[in-house]
Amino acid sequence: MIEQALTPTPAGRPARLAAVLRRNPLLTVGAALSLIVVLAGLFAPILAPHPADAYVATHPTETLLPPSGLHPFGTDQLGRDILTRVLYGARISPLIAVLVLLIACVVGIPLGIAAGYFGGLIDDVLMRITDVFLAFPALLLALAFAAVLSPSIGNTTLAIALTWWPWYTRLVRGQAASVAGRQYVEAARALGVPHRRILLRHVLPNSITPLIVQVSLDVSAVILTASALSFLGLGAQDPTPDWGLMVSQGQSYFTTQWWLVTFPGAAILLTAVAFNLLGDGLRDVLDPRRVPTR
Amino acid sequence: MGVQRGGRRIAVMAIVLGVLTVACHGTSTGKSSPSAGAGATFTYDVTSQVMIGWDPATGYSNEVIAMNNMYEQLTRYDSTTQQVTPLLATSWQSSPDGLTWTFTLRSGVKFHTGRTMTSEDVKASIDRTIKLNGGAAYIWGPVDSIDAPSPDTVIFHLKYPAPLDLIASADYAAYIYDTRAAGSEDLAKWFEQGHEAGTGPYELDQWNKGQEIELRLKAFPDYWGGWNGPHYTRYVFRVTPQATTAAQLLRSGQVSMVERMTPQLWQTFQNQNGFTTTDDPSWQTLLAMLNTSYGPLADERVRQAVASAIDYQGMISALHGGAEQISGFVPPGLWGHVEDLPNPTYDPQRAQQLLAQAGYGPGGKPMTLTLTYVQGDADEELVASLMKSDLAKLNITVDVRPLAWPAQWAKAKSSNPADRQDILLFYWWPDYADPYSWFINLFHTESKPYFNLCYYSNPRLDHMIDTVESEAATDRHKAIATYKEMQELLLKAAPALSLYTQVYQRAMLSSVKGFVENPAYPNVVFAYDLTPG
Amino acid sequence: MIRYVVRRVALAILVVAGVVVLTFVIARVVPGDPAVSWAGPHASRAEIARVRHDLGLDRPLPVQIGRYFIGVLGGDWGTSIHTHRPVLSDIMDRAPASIELVLVALLFSLVVGIPLGLVSAKWPGKTADGVIRVGAVLGVSMPAFWLALILQLVFFQRLHLLPVAGQYDPNLDYTHPLTQYTRMVLVDALVTGNWSVLRSAAAHVVLPALVIASYPLGVITRMVRASVLDSVGEDHVRMVRSLGFPERSVFGRFALKLALNPVIAVVALVFAYSLANTFLVEAIFDWPGLGSYAADSISSLDTPAIVGVTLFVAIVYVLANLIVDLVQAWLDPRIALR
Repeated sequence: MIEQALTPTPAGRPARLAAVLRRNPLLTVGAALSLIVVLAGLFAPILAPHPADAYVATHPTETLLPPSGLHPFGTDQLGRDILTRVLYGARISPLIAVLVLLIACVVGIPLGIAAGYFGGLIDDVLMRITDVFLAFPALLLALAFAAVLSPSIGNTTLAIALTWWPWYTRLVRGQAASVAGRQYVEAARALGVPHRRILLRHVLPNSITPLIVQVSLDVSAVILTASALSFLGLGAQDPTPDWGLMVSQGQSYFTTQWWLVTFPGAAILLTAVAFNLLGDGLRDVLDPRRVPTR
Repeated sequence: MGVQRGGRRIAVMAIVLGVLTVACHGTSTGKSSPSAGAGATFTYDVTSQVMIGWDPATGYSNEVIAMNNMYEQLTRYDSTTQQVTPLLATSWQSSPDGLTWTFTLRSGVKFHTGRTMTSEDVKASIDRTIKLNGGAAYIWGPVDSIDAPSPDTVIFHLKYPAPLDLIASADYAAYIYDTRAAGSEDLAKWFEQGHEAGTGPYELDQWNKGQEIELRLKAFPDYWGGWNGPHYTRYVFRVTPQATTAAQLLRSGQVSMVERMTPQLWQTFQNQNGFTTTDDPSWQTLLAMLNTSYGPLADERVRQAVASAIDYQGMISALHGGAEQISGFVPPGLWGHVEDLPNPTYDPQRAQQLLAQAGYGPGGKPMTLTLTYVQGDADEELVASLMKSDLAKLNITVDVRPLAWPAQWAKAKSSNPADRQDILLFYWWPDYADPYSWFINLFHTESKPYFNLCYYSNPRLDHMIDTVESEAATDRHKAIATYKEMQELLLKAAPALSLYTQVYQRAMLSSVKGFVENPAYPNVVFAYDLTPG
Repeated sequence: MIRYVVRRVALAILVVAGVVVLTFVIARVVPGDPAVSWAGPHASRAEIARVRHDLGLDRPLPVQIGRYFIGVLGGDWGTSIHTHRPVLSDIMDRAPASIELVLVALLFSLVVGIPLGLVSAKWPGKTADGVIRVGAVLGVSMPAFWLALILQLVFFQRLHLLPVAGQYDPNLDYTHPLTQYTRMVLVDALVTGNWSVLRSAAAHVVLPALVIASYPLGVITRMVRASVLDSVGEDHVRMVRSLGFPERSVFGRFALKLALNPVIAVVALVFAYSLANTFLVEAIFDWPGLGSYAADSISSLDTPAIVGVTLFVAIVYVLANLIVDLVQAWLDPRIALR
């Protein structure tokens, strides 16, 4: 997140898909892995050996069994099949990421454009509010939400989104400000074209291109944040097969029953890597100024 | 790259490598040897900070595990014999009406401050405890006044009959201390600075607040019990929140005994040479309080259905030895415990029948229940998940809410009954060795809920609760019969489910001999009673 | 320029104030009574009411915020409910351990990350570059809490190579007591020549520092690579090359200097970011720092402590941003004119 804040990425033109993929192996790998994760989640009910274990079912006499033919990833502290839960977990993380980023865009873009385009007092006030939220540790907000509204995926999503939008506001503001300063925009204003038209036709499309890359890179950051919050008990609750929650629950057993922690954690890592590679690849492709990876 | 730059890089790499090499040698995994000639040291590994407060009158937290070695009460409860035994008092008797209790004190007892203990000191410390009214001071509620007619006699005058010998053995608020220890200074402030003024076998040597080796105690030379024979002369409290750390320290011999670790880690010490393991039931019982005043559980049939729907054995098996089913509400080791009571069993068919009678179950009205438990407690989380799963089979949806205790409690005490939970999971344990605690706190009618979080109100039960304490003061056998009757009543009405009692799983070096678990003093290790091997 | 500095500082203060108010309000809105936490599980009604009055919880919200602000300026950040000590002294006690951990982690990520990024940029597209890039991606994608557990499992449980938790062996407090100056154990041990404590502390810091270093390592490696590649293509570098300077100099003296600018900026931000996120790592490794203090405060609903830690972290974050802004303005004065 920090490195993206410091390296500007201007817009470029997308090339033909196959050629692009061939020239960017990391993008290909990232796209493939991301696809695997999404498909695993989509087809979980078919792929999973014990689908009921992703819901309310428990098997108190089969707890903490090591990996075997019947349970390739072993069973957890409630006797539930871990492979099943890992597969179903693939539905949750990308979904949270999509929701968070959607909310962050819906809130952040209009604010950023308003700040950049109108400037002056509006800009100052909006930027100060943005700064306050930027300095706010995401954890505290998530805690408050969890306590007031009880911990859940929905509330975690909201909490993370609330700490995410400031980054986009900042990003969009910079772009909007530079677009607003361009001559044709000034000319349009002088001619009396209404603000709304200028905003929709010119400012908006030119401001959000860096955002596209940013969003794709942020997917894995959101997934990591959400799983950290679940790890702390502030997010998804049992029996939801959220990976962070599974690592958290397995923590006290992990020196004696390592499989409770290893598999869900590896899933988080794999997913985060997949979307990072995808984001990196997209950035390479959309920014012709960069030296391409060979 | 220029030579200089390259050279600098190599130097940096060398430093990094150097640090790593040094690091790999500097681990502490060797066995430590007790310092020769200085007597044996008992190191107790605990999971959280010990000295939360220092005032023996108001201490109500983890500090009691240390205070019970620095301070003493008039009496002590022995859970193996279920008797009250002498400690600072050698004998006592109550008047036939249970309103006057006379205690004869032990002579030759010295405070760590040097003074000799007399009845004036006993009166002064208990008076002060009552006056400060903090922590567990409520246990002295029955006391009207205290007299000290002679240096070795203390007389308690009570407002109503109560088993004062049991009260005087309490884990909290019953210590006898030197009220003149601070001289002209404020005593409370003096205590909080990290001082103690007890009569117990160990006195304070060193306190390192917030450090891993938090507390060091040393033998008090003038202890009335004397130091003949092998004894631990030093007592160290070491705080390691992580169970894995504790296990490692025990394995390498750096600690003598571990307060608590996970059942899985504890099993790795069972039947191992060089280690001894114990497991004994505690008096900390887990209860599921069912809302008898509002919602579907107000119907007794529904409550009984829920009681039959829980797979109790499965729960115990999933806890891997950390819990034990008990008969009734009073745990074993405490008088008032009754073995053959009509306890609920796992009977899903009976549950279904009862639900159908009440109009619920498959085909009937849908039911959603809200269950709250203490956030962060892994055992309660497990139990909640199991209950949710068990009840789901009967078409009952359980909405599980983990809450921090203050939030859970606030919700249970909401003035609007619709805001309260249907099922509340929490632990209960007595402040002194008396089953009365469960009944007066949890099941007595309350106009505004405090701890009766099943909101149960039964005048017949109230009457029995109101009379059982004076029975306990005058005729123990009659009291036991009353407790049996009360438990039978509660098991039938099912306002709460007594799910299990926690099991203390301790692991220690085999050189530690003579350890006997005493659930009346949770997690307290009386090192004076141990024999170093 | 001065005006710019003053303006930035004033804005920073405003931001911190905003964070405090927001945190306070949220912490108060959380249901559940801190007085109950303080008084303990079986406390009587009278006891709880008394504690509530003592803690000032029965006053209206604006009054509480006002009292808090005045206190903060005077150095009174309230009293922690779970340690019963002043919050500020708790924070001052615990902060050095966290700072020490993050500094070691940062040092490691700089010392390893910069060379790796350079190697990667020098031979882009080759195997070394590929391996390093994959490693960097792993670093920034790693869930810290999972890495911590895995490292514990491998190095402590299986290989018995490194200690599992804590800052150093507590027995050393008696055999080789450490005189504290900075309250950072490694620094103090080095300065006083206490080699046993130094060895023990070094062994204990390896795993937690590695975990915290994973993200900055990835970031720095990628950043160095990207900005070196960028600057190599810059006009003036190409000019220098066409003037006949040897490739070594072109790469070493010119491109490198350009490349390191963003890295400097990143260090301050990464420091603040890591400090705010030592939470999980400290909890898992029993590191006696600010993160584990924050974790304890959150689980015991300790409002004054939570507010205090948030305030501290916010101040550090804002300071870091401020420093970066000022340094960048100093390096590129055009920024100050905007």
